[in-house]
Amino acid sequence: MAHEQCNHGSPAGASKLSRRAFFDRVSDGIYGAALASVLSRDLYGASAEPATLDGHRASYDLKPQVPHFSPKAKSIIHLFMNGGPSQMDLFDPKPMLDKHHGQPYFDKVAADLTTPEQSGGLMRSPFKFGQHGKSGMWVSDAMPHLTEVVDDLAMIRSMHTMHPNHEPALFMIQSGRIIPGRPTMGSWVVYGLGTENQNLPAYVVLDDPLGLPVNGTQNWQAGFLPPIYQGTRIRSTGSPILNLAPETPETSEIVQAGRQLLSRLDQIHKKTRPNQLQLDARIASYELAANLQMTASDALDVTKESSETLEMYGVGDPVTDSYARRCIMARRLIERGVRFVQLFINSQIWDNHTFLARDMKAASARTDKPVAALVKDLKRRGLLKDTLVIWGGEFGRMPIAQMENGMETAGRDHNPSAFTLWMAGAGIKAGTVYGATDELGHEAVENKVSVTDWHATILHLLGMDYQRLVFDQNGLKDKLTSVFDCRIVNEILS
Amino acid sequence: MPVGKPHLSDKDLATIASWIRGDESVTKTAPKVDNTPLTQHDVIPVLLTRCAVCHGLRRQEGGLDLRSKASMLKGGKSGPAIVLGKPEESLMLKRINAGEMPPKQQLIVVGVKPISAGETEKVVRWIRQGAPEVEPPPAVAGTPQDPLVKDKDRQFWSFQTPVRPEPPQVQHHDRVRNPIDAFVLSKLEAKHLSLSPEADRQTLIRRVSFDLTGLPPEPGEVKEFVASKDPLAYEKLVDRLLASPRYGERWGRFWLDLAGYADSEGGKLSADLPRPFAFRYRDYVIRAFNDDKPYNRFLMEQIAGDELADYEHAPVITQELMDNLIATGFLRMAPDSTTEREVNFVDDRIDVIADEIETISSSVMGLTVKCARCHNHKYDPLPQRDYYRFKAVFQGALDEHDWVSPLTLEKYGLYFPGKYLPYVTPGATPMQLLEEERKRELVNKNLDVEIKLVQTAWDEKLKDLKKKVIEKRIASQPKDLQEDLRKLAATPAEKRDEVQRYLAQKFETLLKVDTADVKQDPAVAQEAESVEKRIKLLEYKAIPEPKIRALWDRGSPSPTYLLRRGVPTSFGPFVEPGPPAVLTNAKLTYEVAPPWPGSEKTGRRLALAKWLTNQEHPLTSRVIVNRIWKHHFGVGIVKSVGNFGKAGTPPTNPELLDFLATEFIRQGWSIKQLQRLISTSSTYRQVSTVSPDSLRLDGDNTLLSRMPLRRMEGEVLNDTLTFLAGRLDETHFGKPEPVLVRDDGLVTPIETDKGWRRSIYISQRRSEIPTVLDNFDLPPMSPNCIERSESTVSLQALYLSNNTMVKQLAAFTAQRVARESGSDPSAQITYLYNLALGRPPNPEEAKASLETLLKLKQLEPKKDGDLAALSKLCHTIFNSAGFIYID
Repeated sequence: MAHEQCNHGSPAGASKLSRRAFFDRVSDGIYGAALASVLSRDLYGASAEPATLDGHRASYDLKPQVPHFSPKAKSIIHLFMNGGPSQMDLFDPKPMLDKHHGQPYFDKVAADLTTPEQSGGLMRSPFKFGQHGKSGMWVSDAMPHLTEVVDDLAMIRSMHTMHPNHEPALFMIQSGRIIPGRPTMGSWVVYGLGTENQNLPAYVVLDDPLGLPVNGTQNWQAGFLPPIYQGTRIRSTGSPILNLAPETPETSEIVQAGRQLLSRLDQIHKKTRPNQLQLDARIASYELAANLQMTASDALDVTKESSETLEMYGVGDPVTDSYARRCIMARRLIERGVRFVQLFINSQIWDNHTFLARDMKAASARTDKPVAALVKDLKRRGLLKDTLVIWGGEFGRMPIAQMENGMETAGRDHNPSAFTLWMAGAGIKAGTVYGATDELGHEAVENKVSVTDWHATILHLLGMDYQRLVFDQNGLKDKLTSVFDCRIVNEILS
Repeated sequence: MPVGKPHLSDKDLATIASWIRGDESVTKTAPKVDNTPLTQHDVIPVLLTRCAVCHGLRRQEGGLDLRSKASMLKGGKSGPAIVLGKPEESLMLKRINAGEMPPKQQLIVVGVKPISAGETEKVVRWIRQGAPEVEPPPAVAGTPQDPLVKDKDRQFWSFQTPVRPEPPQVQHHDRVRNPIDAFVLSKLEAKHLSLSPEADRQTLIRRVSFDLTGLPPEPGEVKEFVASKDPLAYEKLVDRLLASPRYGERWGRFWLDLAGYADSEGGKLSADLPRPFAFRYRDYVIRAFNDDKPYNRFLMEQIAGDELADYEHAPVITQELMDNLIATGFLRMAPDSTTEREVNFVDDRIDVIADEIETISSSVMGLTVKCARCHNHKYDPLPQRDYYRFKAVFQGALDEHDWVSPLTLEKYGLYFPGKYLPYVTPGATPMQLLEEERKRELVNKNLDVEIKLVQTAWDEKLKDLKKKVIEKRIASQPKDLQEDLRKLAATPAEKRDEVQRYLAQKFETLLKVDTADVKQDPAVAQEAESVEKRIKLLEYKAIPEPKIRALWDRGSPSPTYLLRRGVPTSFGPFVEPGPPAVLTNAKLTYEVAPPWPGSEKTGRRLALAKWLTNQEHPLTSRVIVNRIWKHHFGVGIVKSVGNFGKAGTPPTNPELLDFLATEFIRQGWSIKQLQRLISTSSTYRQVSTVSPDSLRLDGDNTLLSRMPLRRMEGEVLNDTLTFLAGRLDETHFGKPEPVLVRDDGLVTPIETDKGWRRSIYISQRRSEIPTVLDNFDLPPMSPNCIERSESTVSLQALYLSNNTMVKQLAAFTAQRVARESGSDPSAQITYLYNLALGRPPNPEEAKASLETLLKLKQLEPKKDGDLAALSKLCHTIFNSAGFIYID
C-alpha cells in the first residue's frame, strides 16, 4: 500500500540537510521510521514494522502498522449525519404507514419516547419512494442525487442502538458505549493502523464552520488511548488547524533566523545529552509542524479542482457549497494517505421533531448532491476500491407523529430500535439491501445489526480483528466493541 | 475438568451453558412451570425501580408505599396492595396488568421505564407463594469463612500489610544519605551499577523548584544557592520550597487529577453546564497540601466528612466543620448529567455511582474494582458481590432510588433537595452572614447593570455595522434597484407592501446579515472579542453564592442488590455494605456504627474511611507513596500506579516500597515529610545524563541509575511562561479565571489587570479546556485520571511557535530582560538564560544567540526594532529543548 500514494515533495527541512544527516537526526525518534518511510520508500521498502496491536507498546506513534490480515479498505470517509435521519422517509418504505395513517400506536413505543405528551398516531411519509439503478434499491424523492449511485451502496435497514437520546447514542456510534470518555472509532483505527502520510494528521475531522455537533469535540476524542490518536479538527474556513500559522505573520527572513537558531540550540542541547530519545522526537515534531503548514494548505485547497468537479459537488451554490467543499477536502485528504476522515454538520439537521417534510428536504438539499458526487468522484478516480464511505446517523425515528402544535407541524421522535445507514466502496457488496424492520419501521426484526456489529465489520474491512485490536488499560484489555457480543456482517461484504 | 474428580454431568454442563447465556434464556426455556421459592428480595428491587418514585420514601401517591411487604399489606387509600396467595385479587397487579401502572404518560417525567412481563410474573409468583420473607443474610466481611474469597487469595503481595524492612548494606555507602539510597543502591549494585554523580547546584535548584512548586527559581535564588557555603543549603532549600504557598498549587493538581476535578458537569449531555461551586473543593485540596494535612485525615474528610462531626446541630460552624463538608466534593466530581437534566433514569444514576466508585478505588485503593461491576474480576479476588457491597457503602448518600438532583419538579409534586449545602464563613455570626449576603447582592446587582450596559452598547453597534454591510451589498447592485432595496431594508417586515415582500424574498440572502458576516472585518472581530472579555471579567467579579457541592448521608438507604452482568434491571442477591472481602481480616475490619449518638446517618462511609486509614491496610499507604514517587522519578516502583492487582506490574523494588509505606505512616501520614525524604536523597540528586553503563544495564531506568530527563507538564509550561514574563497573578483561591473560546476552538485564559492566574485556577470546563493544557496532555476527566500520558506531537510545536499568547508573553519577557539587564546584547542573552534556564549560556549557545540577535535587530523594522528582536529571541528560547526539558 505504501507505493501507491503521496509523492508530495520532500519536507521543508530535508532539502537543507544531507539525507544521511537527516536520518541521523530523526531515525531513532518516535517519528523517525515513519518519516523515513515517507521520505524514502526505496530505502525502506513497503514493509512497515510488525504489527503490535496487542495493547502494549514501548512508545506510541502514527507509523503505518501491518494489519492482522489483508485489508479491503485502506481509508474511511465517514459522513456523519447528526440528529438521526428518518429511515421510513428516506430508505425504508412502509406502505403500512399509509394504510394505518392516524391510528394509535403509542403504547408500543411509550418507553422509548422522549416526549410522550406530544405523541400522535402513526404517520405516513410525506415523500414518494421509487426503485433505482440495476439493483432496484428503494430511495425516496427526498434524495434525488443519491438515486444515481445506489448500485455502489450497501444499505443496512436493520441497525439498532441502545439509547433514545442524542448524547448517549452519539457516544455509542462514535465510541461503542453510551458513556463519555472512550476512544472513538477513528482513534481506534489510527491506533491500529497508523497512517500513510506523516505530514498530515492521521484522523481528520472536518466540522461545520456553522458550529460544533452535539457532544462537541468529544465526537473525536482519543479517550484512554494516547492523545496522538485523537481526531484533528480541520476547519474548512480560516486557519485549518489551531495555531497553524501566527496571527501576525513575520517576514520569512525572521522566521528563518528563528528556526536556524532553534535548530542550533537544540543540537547543542542534544549533544550533551546522548541517548535521550525524547529529544529526537521533539525535534521531529518541530519538523512536522513546519511541514504541516505546507501540506495541509495544499491538501485543503479546493481551488485546485477543475470547474467541472466543483460544479459536480455543488461548490458555488450557497445551499450545497459548504458541505461540497468538505466532501472535496475529504477526497483530497484520502488521496494523500489520511486514514480516517469524518465530516460533521452543525447541530442536528436530521433531528426532525417538527416540520418533517420541510426540514428533511432542507437537510437533504445541503448534503445529497455533494454526497452523491463524492461517491461518483471517488469511483472515477479509482479511489473507491480502497476507500470505505459511510453515511448514517446515531439512531432512527418513530413511525408515529410527534405533534407539538398539531399535524401541520408534525415530525418524528427518536427511535433507537431501528435505523438505516449505508456504506460504499472497499469490500462492500454493492447494490445490497440488508436486514429489515417490522411493517411499520419501528423495530429492526430481521438480520439485526447492532452498532457493535457495525464497528466490528468496519475494523474487519480495514484488516483488523475487533477482538485483537485492544489497549491495555490498567490490566484490562479494552476494545472498541467493549464487552458486547458481536459479529461481522459478512452478508454485505464482497 | 475438574482434575481428579468425576466429570461434570451433561445436566451440569447444560446448566452452566444456560447460566453463561444469561438469565433471559433460562427464563425463556422454562417460563411458566417455574415455582422456585421467591423472597422479598426478588420483588423489592423491581418495585423500587418501577414504582417507588411515587409509592416510596419521599412520596406515597394514594397513601401507598411499596417498599416492604408490611406496607404493601397495609396498602393505601384504595385498600391493601396485595392479597397473600391471590395475585389475581391483588390490587397492585390488577393495576399493572391493566397497563395503568406505572402510568405511561408520566414515565419520562418521573424517570421510570415500564415494568416488564418477566418482572410482573415474578411479583405474581411471590404473591402466590404467600409473599415469603427472609432475614437478611449475615454480613460476611472479615469472617474467614467467606465462601468467595479464600485465604490463599490474601497471600498476594499487595494484600498483605507491609512490614518495615531494614535498609541493606551497600558498597557505595558514601552515597547513602537516607535509607532510600541504600534500597536503590542495593538493586543497582546487584547489576554492577551505582548511582550517577550528583548534579551541579544550578541543575538541582531548577529541578527541585519545578518539582515542588511548579515554577522556576528566580536568578537571584540560583545565585545565592550556588554560592552558599552552608553544608545544609540544599536541605534548607527543600524546606523553603515545601513551605511555599506555590507548593499546594503544584501538588494540589496531582490530587485533582485523581479526584477527576472539573468546573462543569459533563456526562451524557453536551450542554456541559458549569459547576459553579466546584472551586471550593479545589481550594480545599490546595490548602490541605499546603497545611500538610495528614493523608489519613485527608481521606477521612473526603470520604466521610459529613459523618465526622454533627454539623447540623453545631453551635458555630468552624473551619474544620466547613472543610469536612467541602471535602466530600471528592465524591461529587464524576461527570454527572443528572444534575442538569430534571429527568433522569436509574441507569444514568447508576453510571454516576459507578464513576464515583471508580474514582475512589482507582485513586486511593489502586484496584480495578470497576471490573467487578458486570462479572467477577478476571484476575483479582474481587467477586461481583464485592462490587455491590462496595456500592452499598455509598447508598446512604448515592441512592439510585432516592436521587439527589438540584431541580424541583413541583409541577408533579416531586421535590429533590439539591446537591448543595450552604457555605458558611467559618466563625461568622448570623449578623455577619446577613451582612455578607447583603454585600453580595449589592455587588452583583451593580455588576449586572454594568454588564447590561456593555452588552447593549455592543448590540447597538452591531446593528449599525449590519446596516453598513447591507448598504455595501446594495451598492454593488444595479443602480435602478438600489433605491428600492434601501427602502426595503429600512422597512420592518410587517409594514412591507406586496412588491416589497416579493423583493424581500428574492433578495433574502442580501438582506440577511448575521454577526459572522460582520465579523469578517478583523477590526470588528477583535472588538467583539474584547467585548466578550469585558463581560466575562465582569461576571468573574461577581461574588459566588454561598454554596458548596457536597455529599451527605440522608439516613434512609434503599436496600442494595447485585446487578447481574451490570444490567440495572437484572437483580441478583441482596447485599450488605462492606469493602472487598480480600482486604478484611481480624485486624482490618469494617464496622458500621452511627457516627454520633442519635445520628440518623448510616455511618457506612465513616466505616469505610476508618478501614482505609487503618494502619494494617495493605494498600492505602503503598498506593500513595508509589504515586508520589512516580511524580518525582517519572515512573512508579509499581509501574501500574492504578493497579496493584495481579494484572498490574509487581514492584521493581518491593523493600523500598514497603520502607516508604511504613515510614510514611510512622511520620504521621505526612506527604511533605515523604517528599523531603525523597528530594534530599542522593538518588534524587543524580545527574540525568545517560552514561553508557546506565544505558546498557538499565536502559529503561527501572533501577534509577540516573534521574530521568523530564518535560514540563502543560500547567508548568503555562505558569512558567507567565511567570518569566512577569505577568503571573499569584492570587490564591476563589472562582476560576474565565477563558475566551474563539470560534475556531482556541481556548485562552483571559488576562486581568493583574495578569494571568496559575493554571490550576483557570476554568476547567470539560468542553473548554485551555488549548495549552489540552495540547500538553491534560487528559479528559472520565471520570478521573490515574496517570497522565506524555505525548510529543506537532500540535505542541505549533502552539509554542505560533500561538498569540505565547508571543505576547515573549514580548513581556523581552521588556523585562531589557529593563533588568540593560541594552548590551550579550548581557541580555546571559540574563535571559539565567532567567529561563537557570544558568548562563555556554559559549556555543552564547555565540549562536548573539549572532541571531544581531541579525534580528537588522531584520526588524526600525521602530521598537531592538525590542522586537529580543522578543523573537525570547520566543525562540521558549521553544528550545533546554527550556522545556528539566535535567
